[in-house]
Amino acid sequence: MKSINLKENQFIQFHQKISFKFDGVKYFGYKGDTIASALLRNNVNLVGRSFKYHRPRGIYTCGIEEPNALVQIISEYSEPNTRATIKKIYEGMEIESQNRWPSLENDFGSINNLFSPIFTAGFYYKTFMGPHKKFWKNLYEPLIRRAAGLGKPPKDFKGISNHIHHNVDITIIGGGLNGLLAAKSFINSNYDVLLIDFEEQLGGIINNSNKISSIDNKEPKDWLKETIQEIEDSKNIKILKNTLVTTYNYINHLIAIEDRFVGSKPIEGKVNSTLHKIRTGHTILCNGHIERFLSFQNNDLPGIMLSSSFEKYMCRYGLAPSKEPVIFSNNSNSNSLVYSLIKAGLKPKAYIDSRSGEEIEPNLFDLIRKNDVPLYTNSQIKGAFGNKKIEKILVEDSSGALNEIKCDCLCLSGGINPDVHLFTQSKGLLDWDEKDLTYKPSKPFQPTITLGSASGQFNFDNLNSDINEKLKTFKVKKLDVKLELNTNAKYNIEKLWEVSPQKKSLWAKSFIDLQNDVTTKDIRQAITEGFDRIEHLKRYTTNSMGTDQGKISSINALGIVSDLLDKKVNEVGTTIYRPPYAPLSFSAIAGRNCYEFYDPERKSPIHNWHLKNGAIFEDVGQWKRPWYFQINKDESMHDAVQRESKNVRENAGILDGSTLGKIEIKGEDALEFMNLIYTNSFTKMKQGSARYALMLGEDGMVKDDGIICKISDQHFIATTTTGGAATVLGCMEEYAQTEWPNLKVFMNSITEQYATFNISGPKTREIMKKAFPNINFSNEEFPFMTFQFHEFNGVPIRILRASFTGELGYEIYIPSNSAPKIWDNIQSVGKEFGLAPYGTEAMHLLRAEKGYIIVGQDTDGSITPIDLGLSWMIGKSKKDFLGKRSLTRSDTIREDRKQLVGIIPSNKTDKLEEGQHIILDKEIKSPVPMLGHITSCYYSPTLGHDFALAVIKNGHSMIGTKAYASTSSMGTTGVDIVKPVFYDEGNKRLVS
Amino acid sequence: MLIINCPYCGPRDQSEFSNGGEAHVKRPDGSKEIGDREWGEYVFIRANPKGLFYERWVHTHGCRKWFNCVRDTSTDEILVTYKLYEKKPNLNNFKSVVKTPSGEPEVGSGNFTVEK
Repeated sequence: MKSINLKENQFIQFHQKISFKFDGVKYFGYKGDTIASALLRNNVNLVGRSFKYHRPRGIYTCGIEEPNALVQIISEYSEPNTRATIKKIYEGMEIESQNRWPSLENDFGSINNLFSPIFTAGFYYKTFMGPHKKFWKNLYEPLIRRAAGLGKPPKDFKGISNHIHHNVDITIIGGGLNGLLAAKSFINSNYDVLLIDFEEQLGGIINNSNKISSIDNKEPKDWLKETIQEIEDSKNIKILKNTLVTTYNYINHLIAIEDRFVGSKPIEGKVNSTLHKIRTGHTILCNGHIERFLSFQNNDLPGIMLSSSFEKYMCRYGLAPSKEPVIFSNNSNSNSLVYSLIKAGLKPKAYIDSRSGEEIEPNLFDLIRKNDVPLYTNSQIKGAFGNKKIEKILVEDSSGALNEIKCDCLCLSGGINPDVHLFTQSKGLLDWDEKDLTYKPSKPFQPTITLGSASGQFNFDNLNSDINEKLKTFKVKKLDVKLELNTNAKYNIEKLWEVSPQKKSLWAKSFIDLQNDVTTKDIRQAITEGFDRIEHLKRYTTNSMGTDQGKISSINALGIVSDLLDKKVNEVGTTIYRPPYAPLSFSAIAGRNCYEFYDPERKSPIHNWHLKNGAIFEDVGQWKRPWYFQINKDESMHDAVQRESKNVRENAGILDGSTLGKIEIKGEDALEFMNLIYTNSFTKMKQGSARYALMLGEDGMVKDDGIICKISDQHFIATTTTGGAATVLGCMEEYAQTEWPNLKVFMNSITEQYATFNISGPKTREIMKKAFPNINFSNEEFPFMTFQFHEFNGVPIRILRASFTGELGYEIYIPSNSAPKIWDNIQSVGKEFGLAPYGTEAMHLLRAEKGYIIVGQDTDGSITPIDLGLSWMIGKSKKDFLGKRSLTRSDTIREDRKQLVGIIPSNKTDKLEEGQHIILDKEIKSPVPMLGHITSCYYSPTLGHDFALAVIKNGHSMIGTKAYASTSSMGTTGVDIVKPVFYDEGNKRLVS
Repeated sequence: MLIINCPYCGPRDQSEFSNGGEAHVKRPDGSKEIGDREWGEYVFIRANPKGLFYERWVHTHGCRKWFNCVRDTSTDEILVTYKLYEKKPNLNNFKSVVKTPSGEPEVGSGNFTVEK
């Protein structure tokens, strides 16, 4: 196909040359060119290989509907599957073709085309089944994955994007003739209006074709300029250009993506694209129509193009892709291409129309006759042939004779469809138009208005009345636009979906979906095999499942299926149109919610100290908690944890517990409320004392635990697990509002207002005395599970005597701002007693030695307090609390429930592992009955061997017996089932 | 994304709210004897109708108040929101404009080309 540049064009700056590289070869285009128009200018027609058969493919369209010309933009984060027909070139752009190896011209994969008779619909499903199911995972899938797909996934993250929200009265989608007229009606009205167009220039059909000769007795170009100026001057209308509406959600919520770097290379670090989230009162869809193609043998050869696209290249890009294209049509839409060609001093090599001479528009007839264009009426193209490009076509004329025509370009028109994607996304109903042979919007579901060809109005005669009628509710001024057309014809179409090939052959292909290489034969086969429902057929054949979603072909498929099934198209129905309208990158959806903004990091007030002192952090919910502290770079985690744990048992350790959830509960009925929320009874509890408490779900399962401090009957402070803080507060609020609104109680999170230090170990009392000399820490004055308020250097503090390690311990609550100072002070006075910080891992080890559970590690939402051996915590005399009744459900009183036990290896040198299954027999014979599993497992420096907590069936009564722990990696280990307490069973150290 | 009219704050984006399932499910009185079936139904059984549904929502990232609403589950339209202590509206007062657009037509599928 040899292209020529037309003389002048308002959109292309012929004086401004731009160089770019395609597959390593340097080419020149002009400012304003897309990749496709620039390649056509350089007579590059082969731009990619097809998905399945690796067939040579060229440029089929001139817009977003492009199925073939997908390229990888190397110079932009290696962005794959970019439509060459919409991406503008810039100086230095690097582009590569896709799905070919070693080169586009000589592609090894094209061997698939030879084997194509076996690659039919459902090929993968049928073929890759045996001989063993392992073959799929190890052989077939890796092979298919390597061969699948078009572009290569980029290695780098695409540039940043941001999100903008809009709240408007009216959104007009599409700035073509109808969109501009609608916007014109709203000029200086009281409505906030957003006008969105995908292109850089508003105007749509006025720019893309020569259909319109004058508007209001002006040149269309001049009218356009004036109208856009008027709209831009209007204060209530905002225009978004280069913005594609991809999604139409419920309640008129639209998503649109704006390209911020059209025609220039995105600047690194700058926002590349903007995602607009639009909430609108009414949506006016003026997004026009899409031309469809026709199926015949080899209808995918490079050099075949839609006729309206050819005309768009002429009008928008000053470029005729070929000097003498052949035109094949079944409708009147291609009339204007003939007109445009002749106006440009070119002429079609032949005009082939499936319609009869009487149906063909008289002025088209005149034009063709006057210019001696060979005319074939009542004729069809049986096939196109050529090596990597179209060279000749075979035409069957009205007499049935075959004519061979040599050509380098073929323009197709199979009719036009309203672009109904957005309308159907909005849940509007479609209806099949038997005369125009297409689905048209019928009943909107939301406040949606369709105008122009998007509503199925393919003629211009009702232009004014249609807009005036549909915009009546807005009470805007009425339009009276005078429109003159160059091709004065009513839309007329004859049914034609497919021309059967001249010779039957296994290798003859008439494509119905170019991007996914689906042929009309695949559709026939699928129906024969019983996939006659349109949704089944779509999935079985992958028809219209490419990134183009079959924009130029899906209606053709419905037509073919309706003929095959002998049903009306309306009965066949369509598949669901789902958002997005065209692919949009994940980076646009993510916006600024990535990296550090993806999920906020929460840090304790002591965080900087941890950083300076060798802390290795672990994530607990959003919190960063010190996992363990390295004294030097070579210390392993195991060594650090052993050292920290030992130090707590022998001297004293300090843990930053600031991340623990803290909730303050106040009010006249606070006591009653707490009795209802937690399993424990707080009624007889003394003021100033504390209690370990459990919270259940209504199903009776343990949801959270914590320590409750009772300041008075009207005032409590509860701690929660680090991860459960928000849930517990949410649960308290829910029940306070929904179930017990009669209770006068309020609750608030004070997690971040207070830092918490947990100091524990035998030397703790000495350290506390020295750090807080005015406080009496004696056992009598400050017994276990009590708390006191004090003031230290003007800072109000609360000290609670409690322990999670089994040693003597205190928890200090300090307002966050004063916490670092007090922390430093404790560090310095504690030095002489061997005080050292410890992390969460040592804390977990120490608490496990005491058999203290961690909700979420030793429980999993299916464990009751009874299963944990914590029946003593249930306030049995209480009439009600969350989940109380569930503790006597038939399921919760079952004897074989999984219950918490301790596990130690029978041979003390054996190792255990979290997640190991507990089984009864040493010998493994599948299926192995599983008793339960290990939930926590550590090596204890105090005991000198591994120990574990586990939940196993009927565990409480199995204590004292033997079993086995098993994993495939570690084999089977003999274990003793013991009580879940490994250290200081009498709690002497706690109360010392 | 839906717009939900919080009875305390006014219309806000759905992302500010959390759904709380069926509304007007009464918690059995704990001070009285509760049968297994009655309790089991309260804990585990919720209605899941296609069509009009009494539903609870909470304005999590707002006033944190719970409230009730009537939602058409087939269209996702929230027809009315009301405070917890307000009387529940009669479902007969509401009419779906289009009958179940998510309904499955006999032929084709999603785009409801055949109006029911």
